[in-house]
Amino acid sequence: MTEQGLTIGDMLKMMRDPLGAPFFPPALQALLVATWVLHIFFVTLALGASLFSIYAFWQQRDERARQLGRLSARLTPNALGLGIVTGIAPLLFVQTIYDPLWYTANALTGFWSVSFIFVVMGGYSLAYFFYLKGSQDRRLLFTAVISFVLLFFAGWIMHVLHGVSIRPEGWMTWYMPDGVIDTRGVTFHAYNIPRLLFLLPLQAGLSLAVVLQFSAWYLRRRGDEPAFLDWVAELGRRLGVIVSPLYALAGLGWALTEGPEFGVTLVALPLVALGAGLSGYFLWLKGKQHGPQAVLIWLAGLLVVAIVREVIRVASLARFGYSVANYPYTIDWGSVIVFAVTTVVGLAIITYLALVIYQAYATREGHISPRVERLGKVAVGMLGAWFGFFLLVGLYTLIVLN
Amino acid sequence: MYPFWEGVLIHSTLYVAITSAFHVLVSHLTVAAAWFNLYIERRAVMENREELYQYLKRSALGLLVFAYVFGALAGVGIWQTTTAANPRGISTLIHNFVFFWGAEWYMFLIDVIGIIAYYYTFGRVSKQTHLRLAWILALGSTGTLSIIVGILSFKLTPGLWLQTGNSLNGFFNPTFWPQIGLRFFFMFVITAAWALFVAAGLPKGFFERAKIIRYGAGIGILGLIGGVLTWLLIYQPALPQHAWAILPSRAIPQPTFPIIYFGLIATAAGLLFAFLAPDRQRRVFALGAMVVMYGAIFGAERTREVLRKPDVIAGYISSNQLVFNDLPARNVSSEEQRLNETGMLGSLPFVPAASQIAVNPRMTFGSSDPEVAVGRVIAIQQCGSCHSISPQTELSVAGVALDLRSQAKLLQMRNLSTVDEIDAYLGGIQGFPYMHPFVGTLEERRALAKYLAEFTQLSAPQTAAQAGK
Ligand code: HEC
Ligand code: HEM
Repeated sequence: MTEQGLTIGDMLKMMRDPLGAPFFPPALQALLVATWVLHIFFVTLALGASLFSIYAFWQQRDERARQLGRLSARLTPNALGLGIVTGIAPLLFVQTIYDPLWYTANALTGFWSVSFIFVVMGGYSLAYFFYLKGSQDRRLLFTAVISFVLLFFAGWIMHVLHGVSIRPEGWMTWYMPDGVIDTRGVTFHAYNIPRLLFLLPLQAGLSLAVVLQFSAWYLRRRGDEPAFLDWVAELGRRLGVIVSPLYALAGLGWALTEGPEFGVTLVALPLVALGAGLSGYFLWLKGKQHGPQAVLIWLAGLLVVAIVREVIRVASLARFGYSVANYPYTIDWGSVIVFAVTTVVGLAIITYLALVIYQAYATREGHISPRVERLGKVAVGMLGAWFGFFLLVGLYTLIVLN
Repeated sequence: MYPFWEGVLIHSTLYVAITSAFHVLVSHLTVAAAWFNLYIERRAVMENREELYQYLKRSALGLLVFAYVFGALAGVGIWQTTTAANPRGISTLIHNFVFFWGAEWYMFLIDVIGIIAYYYTFGRVSKQTHLRLAWILALGSTGTLSIIVGILSFKLTPGLWLQTGNSLNGFFNPTFWPQIGLRFFFMFVITAAWALFVAAGLPKGFFERAKIIRYGAGIGILGLIGGVLTWLLIYQPALPQHAWAILPSRAIPQPTFPIIYFGLIATAAGLLFAFLAPDRQRRVFALGAMVVMYGAIFGAERTREVLRKPDVIAGYISSNQLVFNDLPARNVSSEEQRLNETGMLGSLPFVPAASQIAVNPRMTFGSSDPEVAVGRVIAIQQCGSCHSISPQTELSVAGVALDLRSQAKLLQMRNLSTVDEIDAYLGGIQGFPYMHPFVGTLEERRALAKYLAEFTQLSAPQTAAQAGK
């Protein structure tokens, strides 16, 4: 494009949607980073649980492992379901402030971007199938294996989409190799293996590790067999002890490859510190039970990772003068208010649902406390009232904004 | 403006169609089943009927595995496919409605966490609590539906948004209320079909089997009457002039209307039969009714999407991904005007200048004329989103051609084969209500004509050979 004086920077600016963003772009960026933490937690948990259930059903000796394998076979599709819905939020925000990147990456990788959904559907269906029909004697174990492969492949597609999106310098050559446009979108144009190792298999191990810790803590309170639970907690801890140093190593590899590429080698510090910190934490955990704490620490760790990803993207785009901070915007109060109100209602209902699931299994027979019941009453009332609110906004638009 | 993804084997738009067919099926089922289950569970609680919980539990597992997660995934699938097929169209929607979609996201979360809670707490929480979960599912799924209608209807009738640029005007647009009404009534029909299907599977003489069937069918019939009346009296009058020009045109593929009418009539007949003879109801009948009903729904949804052609957002952005009108309220000005003067080539990201375009005879039907290579770029940018513009998207399975309005075939149909003939024809394509005028310079149009002439010639002998078989 340089021939016409259209630099990559010009191109990126021109490609931003002329409508601009409907709110302060940095706020949308914060939402992107924050919601991605939930997404990556659940999808890596699904991958970790899937891999563990395969191992547990494969080995024939350890009865405890098998018992845990059944639980993780059940966890896989549910964690994945949550991973999918929590993925939708970052999907919304990334398009709003990084539209030139996201759309280009999807078009250049069109075939895989479109296949992605069928890959995830296949992985999900097989995970459920295995949970419902798989059994002790390795029967149907291959369905779990295919499921894992498909889910991993889905993560690979995500990774490539992101890799393409942060490398605008490659776009024209990928789209028009030797001056001839390629409209098939079948090539994986950009990836970074250390980053992929860091984000997928290693984080899958860590997500599983903390959830094992958490489960042991949770089930112990309702009086499940303590010996089994001690074993589960220790298994989680050991997994953490083994994976964390590798995590630090992969983080270093990621920082030493993408770092120089985009001029942010300093991200090595937080990544290595995170891996080292987690190693220390899992060592310290020996003989202790800290279910909720382990999960919270891990979520904080994932937030660090999410920020590092964002720093890399920002650094890459800064090379071309693109910055979220200068993304044009006009505050669109109507939709902001609808979102804010729905956030309040949504969080109330989700909190209630989470507490119901939590309490239903926290005791042997399942008991929901009166306080949670009261919250439920209020939350459902709010959800009903939401429809009234929605109608009122509609009438307001119809009558006042006319 | 963006790289163009043409599709592989079939056209990118057909990927959208396949995914949305699936999504329509699953998502409607979710809402319908949520309300039906709520009805059943209320009766189970009030009349203390343990046996109904068996049905509920079975149905919940099916919904959890199939409807909710697949519904969400297929929704994301529509996203991915439309993004790959027409990024700037989806971009316009997201930059208007990201917060409405954000609100809808909470409803998805409620649905997915809700169904997990619902399924895994049978027998572990009190009946009242469980009933509350049923309410949450019914309300949550209805919330999703209400929000998406605003975004869907916006594309056809942006209404005052074209002047004010205010997302509320775009959301609550002229066909929003009619469409909400229409969907509200048809929801009863779908719920009825689902209820018949479920109830018909129960053994004869099971708790009020006949009564549920009759009750469901009755509600379905009322919904159908309400829906048809809403269509005739409220929705149709709200349609813009342009839609009336598209309805009878060739943009709507052939058997669409017969499928819709047949679906409506067959559904009505099925419901009436169930109402009059509930004891004779069988699972296959209910399944048959669902199949024809979905045929009709899918036909209607596709038609609704085509009515706005050639625009993605009527009156604002067209299928070639160019903004063609000013929107002063949001500081947007038409892009087409400028491009008619400067030409397309080299004026937009990912539309290279002629000097950058190389010849590869494999992509230009053996021709090594640089002008044909240039024509290919123009075809990609201007025509590719609605037409198969190369053999890359002209898969044919068992003799059935799956191309999307292949330009080669259309030109053959009109017996246009020379560059001059085609070039002249291109000057008038805006005469069809479903196409925009060519954007760009006359030289660019001529290059396009050259490319199309090669394409038509390449396909001609094949078609002749097929006809000879
Ligand atoms: C908005 C979508 C859209 C775009 C963009 C579009 N077309 Fe079409 N075109 C259609 C539809 C719909 C038909 C009707 C198909 C049929 O007749 O089966 C059609 C029909 C045609 C026909 C046959 C007309 C006739 O009946 O004689 C030609 C020729 C044609 N298009 C050429 C083009 C060219 C060249 C371009 C690019 C400059 C283009 N179209 C862009 C939608 C589009
Ligand atoms: C098996 C399923 C999935 C896996 C394993 C997975 C994994 C990943 C990974 C590893 C990344 C980070 C990529 C990188 O930084 O290199 C990512 C990012 C992302 N994922 Fe997923 N994902 C899955 C499903 C989904 C789904 C269904 C959606 C959409 C609903 C989604 C939306 C996103 C988004 C929006 C991002 C952020 C992209 C960006 O910041 O540019 N993911 N995912």
